[in-house]
Amino acid sequence: MLSLSDVSVNYGVIQAVRGVSLNVEEGEIVALLGPNGAGKTSLVSSVVGIVPVSGGRVTFKGEDITRVPVEGIVARGLTLTPEGRRVFAGLSVAENLRLGAATRKDPVATERDLNTYLDMFPILKERYHQTASTLSGGEQQMLAIARALMSAPTMLMLDEPSLGLAPRIVDRIFELMLEMKKSGLTMLVVEQNASEALAFSDRAYVLASGSVVYEGAAKDLAASDQLMEAYLGTGVA
Amino acid sequence: MEYVIQQAINALSVGGEYALLALGLAIVFSIMNLVNFAHGELITLGGYAMFFAAATFVGNPVLLLPICVLTAVVAAMLFERIAFRPVRNAPATTGLLTAFGVSIVIQNALVIFVATRPKPVPVPSWMQGTMSFGGFNLPVVQILETGATVCAVAGLVLLLTRTNLGLAMRAAAKDFTVVRLMGIQANRVILGAFAVSGFLAGLAAVFILARRGAVDPLMGFTPVLKAFVACVLGGFGSLLGAAAGGLVLGILEVVLQATLPSDVAGFRDAIVFLLVGAALIWRPTGLLGTRAELGDKE
Amino acid sequence: MDLVRQTLLRTLIPAAILVAIAILVMRYGQPYQIRVGYVFFINLTMVVGLQIFMGNSGTASFGHAAFSGIAAYTVAILMTPLMLKRTLIPDAPFNLDQVVLGPIPSIILALLVTGVVAYVVGLAISRLKGVGAEIGTLAFLVIVHVVFTNWIELFRGPRAFYGIPIISNLWWGLGASIIAVFVAKLFRDSKYGVQLRASSDNMLAAKAMGVPVDRLRLIAWTLSGIVVGAGGVLLATNLGTIAPTSFYFNQTFLMMAMLLLGGMRSVSGAVCGTIVIALGSEITRTLESGPVLLGIDFPEMFGLTGFFLGAVIVLVMAFRREGILAGEEFEDIWDDMTRRLRRDKAPAAALDER
Repeated sequence: MLSLSDVSVNYGVIQAVRGVSLNVEEGEIVALLGPNGAGKTSLVSSVVGIVPVSGGRVTFKGEDITRVPVEGIVARGLTLTPEGRRVFAGLSVAENLRLGAATRKDPVATERDLNTYLDMFPILKERYHQTASTLSGGEQQMLAIARALMSAPTMLMLDEPSLGLAPRIVDRIFELMLEMKKSGLTMLVVEQNASEALAFSDRAYVLASGSVVYEGAAKDLAASDQLMEAYLGTGVA
Repeated sequence: MEYVIQQAINALSVGGEYALLALGLAIVFSIMNLVNFAHGELITLGGYAMFFAAATFVGNPVLLLPICVLTAVVAAMLFERIAFRPVRNAPATTGLLTAFGVSIVIQNALVIFVATRPKPVPVPSWMQGTMSFGGFNLPVVQILETGATVCAVAGLVLLLTRTNLGLAMRAAAKDFTVVRLMGIQANRVILGAFAVSGFLAGLAAVFILARRGAVDPLMGFTPVLKAFVACVLGGFGSLLGAAAGGLVLGILEVVLQATLPSDVAGFRDAIVFLLVGAALIWRPTGLLGTRAELGDKE
Repeated sequence: MDLVRQTLLRTLIPAAILVAIAILVMRYGQPYQIRVGYVFFINLTMVVGLQIFMGNSGTASFGHAAFSGIAAYTVAILMTPLMLKRTLIPDAPFNLDQVVLGPIPSIILALLVTGVVAYVVGLAISRLKGVGAEIGTLAFLVIVHVVFTNWIELFRGPRAFYGIPIISNLWWGLGASIIAVFVAKLFRDSKYGVQLRASSDNMLAAKAMGVPVDRLRLIAWTLSGIVVGAGGVLLATNLGTIAPTSFYFNQTFLMMAMLLLGGMRSVSGAVCGTIVIALGSEITRTLESGPVLLGIDFPEMFGLTGFFLGAVIVLVMAFRREGILAGEEFEDIWDDMTRRLRRDKAPAAALDER
C-alpha cells in the first residue's frame, strides 16, 4: 500500500534520514522502532509531506506522492497523528472532530463515522462540548486519533501515540488500534515503547541514525533477546 | 447632555472604525504571522474604485458602497496571491517589509496613473445628514458606522464558530501544520483570511470616505497606523485584543479631541501614541496579550 | 585595541571604494553630479547608521528618519544667524532665538541631543519585541513628524527652515560615511554586536545564556540613531534648507530599500545597496521628468522612483531575502575568492584534502 524507496530527508546540512526503503501492505500494522533521534519522526513527516523529501521515492496505492503537498496526500487517504498529539486546545472536542472531517463531501457517512468513533472513544462523547485543553493527555491522544480517522483515511501513521501516557491508557490505545485494524485500517506506528508495540504489530522496522538496521516479523524481533538488545537496547525491559 | 451623547456616539464610531481595521490585521497576523502594512491601501483602492465607478457607469451613489467593499476584498486576495505567497513561511519582519513595499508600490502607482491631488467621491446625501434619535440630533454616518461595526463583529464571530473555514482559521492560528494534516488546503484558509480582512477594511473604507468625501493616494496610511497601534495595544494576534484596542484608541482620541486646548490640538495623535507607549511600557504584551514574546508565535 | 586595529583594516576596502567614487565625482562631475554625489554620501551615512540597529538586532525600524530630522533641526536652530532667526522663529522657547553657536559646537550638540532622544525612546522600544517594536518605531516617526509640523514656535511647522549656513561639502560626506562604516563594523564585530546578532537568531537561547538582550538592543538603537543623526547634520549644512517632509516617509522607504537590497545583515550590504539604488534612482528620476529617448517622447510620470523603490523591496523579499551580499562583508567575499583562486592553482592539494 505504502512503499518508500531510498528516501532521504535533510535539514540544511544535517541528514536525518538516509536512504530508507520500507513497505506497508494493506491491512498490516507495521511498527517503526528506534532510539531517540533515529529519524523516525522525520521519516513519517516527510511521507505525509510536512517536511520535504530530499531524495528517493514515496508511492501510495501505486501512485507517486513524493512531491504531493500535505493536503493532497491526506485527500488520497493517508494521514498522520503527529507527535505530541497537537489537538487544537482552544477548540471544543466537537470542533476538533469537525475539522477532521472538513474536506468530506458526504454528510451522511460523516455523521455515521462520527457516531462510530464516539462509541469507540466514549470519553470523547462525554466531553463532546468541552474545550480540548481540559482533556487529559490520554484523552487528547484519543481525540487526535479520532480526529485523524474523521478524514476517512485508508492508512494512518501514528507518531508516538503512547508518549507520556500512563501504562493503563497506553494499553487502551493499543487495544483500540487492534480494533481499527479489524475494520480494515492499515497502520504504521512509530514507537519507542518497543516491546509493547511489537506485541500488536505484524512487522517491524528498526531505524538507527537515519538508516534501517533491521526489518522482519514483529514476533521474531520480540522473541529474540539478542536482537532486542542489539537494536533497541531494551532486551530486558 | 446632547453634547455628551454626541461625543459618545462619535467615540463609538471612531473606535468601531479602528476595531474593523485592527480585526482585519489581526486575522491575517494570527494565521500567517504577517503584519499587513498595505492594509491601508485597501481603503485607498476602495475609494478609487468608487471614484472611477462614479465617473464612468454608476449613477446611483448607493451602488458605490458595495463596489468599495468588493474592491477591497479582491485587492486583499490579490495582494496575498501576488506578493505575500512567496514570503509565506518567512519571519514576521520579512512579511512586514514586503507589505511595506506593496504599500509604497500601490501609493506610487496611483500617483503615476491617477494624480497626487485628491479626487472627489460621491456619497449618498442621506449619509451626510443628521437624524433625530431619542430626541438627540446625531450624524447618520456615525450611527451607521457603529451599527455596521456591531453587525460585522457578530458576523465574524458566526463565521469563526459556525463554518468549517472559520474553524480552520482559528485552528490555523495555533497550528497550521495540523490543519493541513486534516486535508484542509492552506491556500484556501489564507485566502479566506485575506478576504475577511479585505471585507472589514472595505466596510471601514465606506465610512472613512463618507466623512472625507475625497480620495488621495496616501489616505490609507493614517487609519492603518491607528489600527497597528490598536493591535499592539490589545496584544498582537489576539482578535479580542484588536477589537478592544481599536475601541479604546477611538475613545481616547475623542476624549482628547474634546478636552485638549486648541493650541495643542494638533499634537493629538502624538499624545495618543505616547499614552499607548506608556501603557505598553507597563504591559509590553498589550492589554490582552499573554505571549511571552510579543509578536512571536509559540 | 586589537579589535579597533582589525576593524580599521577591514574598513579599507569600503573606504577605498568610497574615496574612488568621491574623486571620480569631483574630478569629472558637473555641479549636478556633485550634488548627487553629496546626497549619496548623506544617504550612505544614514543607511549604514540604520544597519547598526536593523542588521544586528534583526528588527526593522521605520523610525530612523526621525533621528536625521532631530539632528538637522538642532543644527539649524543653533547655527542659523540671529538676524534670520528673528524672522524665522521669533517666539522660540528657551530664548533659542537669541543663541547662536559655531559649527563644531552646534554639530556636537546636535548629535548629543539626538543620542539622548534615541536613548529615551530606546528605553521603550527595546522593551517591546518583534512586531510590537517595529510598529513602535513607526509610531515614533509619526510622533516626531507631528511635533515638527505643530511646534511652530520652534520648528516653523510645515514651512521650510532656511538660511542654515552651508559649511559642508562632498569631502565631509565622504568623511562621515567612512566614519559611519568604521563605527558600524566596530559594533558588528564587538562583543556586543556578536551577542546581539546571536540573540536575533535565537532570542530564548541567548537570554538563557545570560545575554542582556534588551540592553544590547538599546545600545545598538542609540548608536545607530546618532549615526543617522550625523546624516541629518550633513543634509542641513549642505542644503541650507530643511522641512519636516525631508525626514518622513520618503526618506524612510528610501533608506529601507537601500539597506534591504544590499542585505541588512552586513555593513557592506548597506554600502552596496546604497550605491545601486543611488544609480537606479537617477535613471528613474530622468524617466519621471518625461524625457525623449530613442525618439520616443515619454510622458511625465511622478511617483516612478517611489514605485521602483517599493518594487525593489517586494522583489528582494520574495527572491533574495538576504539581499545582494546575503550578509557577507566585502572582506569575506574577497577572502573566499582568493582562497578559491589558490585552490584552483593547486588542484593536487585539494585532492589531498579529500
